Amino acid sequence: MFKNEEMEINLGPQHPSTHGVLRVKLRLDGETITHCKPVIGYLHRGVEKICENQTFFQGQVWTDRMDYCSAVANNLGWAEANEKLFGITVPRRAQYIRTLLNEFNRLASHLIWLATHALDIGAMTVFLYAFREREDILDMNEAFCGSRLTTTAFRIGGLREDMPPGFEKMARKFLAKFPTCLEEYENLLSENRIWKKRTVGVAMLSAEDAIALGVTGPVLRAAGVPYDIRKAFPYAAYAEMDFEVPTQTAADTYARYLVRMAEMRQSARIIQQCLDGMPEGPVMAKIPKILKPEVNEVYHATEAPKGELGYYLVGEKGSTNPYRFHVRAPGFINLQSLPKMAEGGLIADIVAAIGTLDIVLGEIDR
Amino acid sequence: MPTPTLLQSIAITLIQCVLVVLFVFVVVPLTVFAERKVLGHIQQRLGSTRVASGHIGITGWMNRGMWKWGRIPVLSYWRGIPGLLADVLKLILKEDIIPAKADKFVFFIAPALSMVSAVVVFAAISFVPGTFFVFPAWFPGLGGLPVSGGIADINVGLLWILGVASVGVYGIVLAGWASNSKYPLLGGLRSAAQMVSYEVPLAISLLAPVVLTGSLNFGEMAQRMATGTSAWGLVPQVFGFLIYLTCGFAETNRLPFDMPEAENELVAGFHTEYSGMKFGFFYLAEYINMTVVSALAAGFFLGGSWLLPFGLQGLVNQLLPADAWIAGPHAIFFVAKIIFLLFTYIWVRGTIPRYRYDQVMSVAWKYLIPLALVNLLLAAFVRCAV
Repeated sequence: MFKNEEMEINLGPQHPSTHGVLRVKLRLDGETITHCKPVIGYLHRGVEKICENQTFFQGQVWTDRMDYCSAVANNLGWAEANEKLFGITVPRRAQYIRTLLNEFNRLASHLIWLATHALDIGAMTVFLYAFREREDILDMNEAFCGSRLTTTAFRIGGLREDMPPGFEKMARKFLAKFPTCLEEYENLLSENRIWKKRTVGVAMLSAEDAIALGVTGPVLRAAGVPYDIRKAFPYAAYAEMDFEVPTQTAADTYARYLVRMAEMRQSARIIQQCLDGMPEGPVMAKIPKILKPEVNEVYHATEAPKGELGYYLVGEKGSTNPYRFHVRAPGFINLQSLPKMAEGGLIADIVAAIGTLDIVLGEIDR
Repeated sequence: MPTPTLLQSIAITLIQCVLVVLFVFVVVPLTVFAERKVLGHIQQRLGSTRVASGHIGITGWMNRGMWKWGRIPVLSYWRGIPGLLADVLKLILKEDIIPAKADKFVFFIAPALSMVSAVVVFAAISFVPGTFFVFPAWFPGLGGLPVSGGIADINVGLLWILGVASVGVYGIVLAGWASNSKYPLLGGLRSAAQMVSYEVPLAISLLAPVVLTGSLNFGEMAQRMATGTSAWGLVPQVFGFLIYLTCGFAETNRLPFDMPEAENELVAGFHTEYSGMKFGFFYLAEYINMTVVSALAAGFFLGGSWLLPFGLQGLVNQLLPADAWIAGPHAIFFVAKIIFLLFTYIWVRGTIPRYRYDQVMSVAWKYLIPLALVNLLLAAFVRCAV
């Protein structure tokens, strides 16, 4: 009369904590997850194919719409991949401003991660605190490129314009208050017993597994692998910056929290150096009106807030469009590790696992 | 004073019921409003400031009115209040959807169970010791009759309260079951386990005041805890109070124990499939339960309507002439204690994250029950000593 049965349940695509339209097929034994399969593609717009039908100049607009929480990092990858393809050297001042904006963007992205991750675990107040600071960064985005989210911040060869007047003041004001804000978040979370109970030892991913699955970014660094492209293959002005790559060895959700919080401190440090050491000079290299590559292919990797963001571009002789464009999206590759993290855990843990991976579906589905 | 006839006492009880329900339905919306405002201030925003975003129709008309209020600095803060009315209107007017595969009768009865069990508890709570007020002589039919501070003076009040309050869990479990849907089912299962578990330490923590006062009657317990020799018991009962409050948070499904409706895991938990006023009943029941838990805590651990802080008790007794309406200050202090505890609910919600389901259970069985037992033992020692 009575029998044991596993329950299949769909987490998403409409669900409060799947960060968009991720669908996870779960098989549950009571509340324990026995099988977990992420299903993606609900936000597929064919960005790669669209970019192949646009000129090199136009493509950047589409990169905004991939990881919309860190559009500047996407723009930077696109601009630098193109510069690599055409062999353009970017002026030093432009490099510094790019680095500056990219680090502000990393802060914004990590703040969104902190906000949503904490909200998923039930800490509602951190959400609004983090959004308060993100607002200032978006204001700076707006001051620099007229747009808050879809920035299209750079041009191939440099920047469209120099920093607007007052921008440096805004940035310095933000930097002055940001450490106290970070302390505010940490006061609410770091030593909070419930926060620790929900994160320590949850969604483990060992260094071997992380490397085998191609996971990058804070998730990898929280497993003890100090791999950061800003250090390993410096781009923009990162070679001239003095910063550390925070790592942890626990490889759990709490370690990833600590790594990201430490990264925010390092980002603030980089921004400070950019502001202090900002060189004078032009912000745009001399480039032709129409870019036509010789047959050539490039792969350019940058350290996006979520991990290694790689752009693979193939140029076609005589064409103004890329022949092939492919994105190595960090969220897409990192999401592979979700079953490994979630299986065997409880249903509440998968919410923590999704949060700690810091996924943006716009980037995963493209 | 004249003795009331049967008809008169029924009339008086009805009036008391109306007063208590009125109290509940004033306190609950105000708690909702306070939650919005207090959470807002914790999170550095304003909380609710308008009825809706409408410009036309009834909400638009209300909005314009409220923004005119806003020109007066003090009133501008309270612009969100009509939003409460709008919320209730919305819940009443909304389409009431019953899922096709749901068990219709159980689906219908579940919110009623939750709501009724929450309200009925108030019958045993006495807001004021003795007489609340006396009808003036000119009042038709009831002239000169006293109205006591509680509806029913039950001598096993605490037992009755716990019994009635635990019926509420049926509402949630049945809602989860009758929805015939997966997320509500998980929510219902969680709440069944959670509320049954937490009832144990809750009851044990309430036994300590029983031991100290030697009574089960709400009014008597409050009075003896506050004024008699057992008032000494109040001090070690700080411990019991914290245990009780923790269990109370769990019983009312509030953060950090809002497992049955953990919105980030189970969408909306047991009431995912509910809409309209049926959902409204669950919502109301949650807030009424909060008020009940606060009222019990105020009664059993904070001295109920008796203990006026800072020696004000004596002052009030001296200042007021013997025939004055002495019940007034008593009622005010009782309600003030309830309000403070309700504030604590909101405060905690704004500060800490949510436990995981298995951790919630281990907190109850591994920590709270042993602690409550130790507390009971402590109370017994104090009882012997005093």
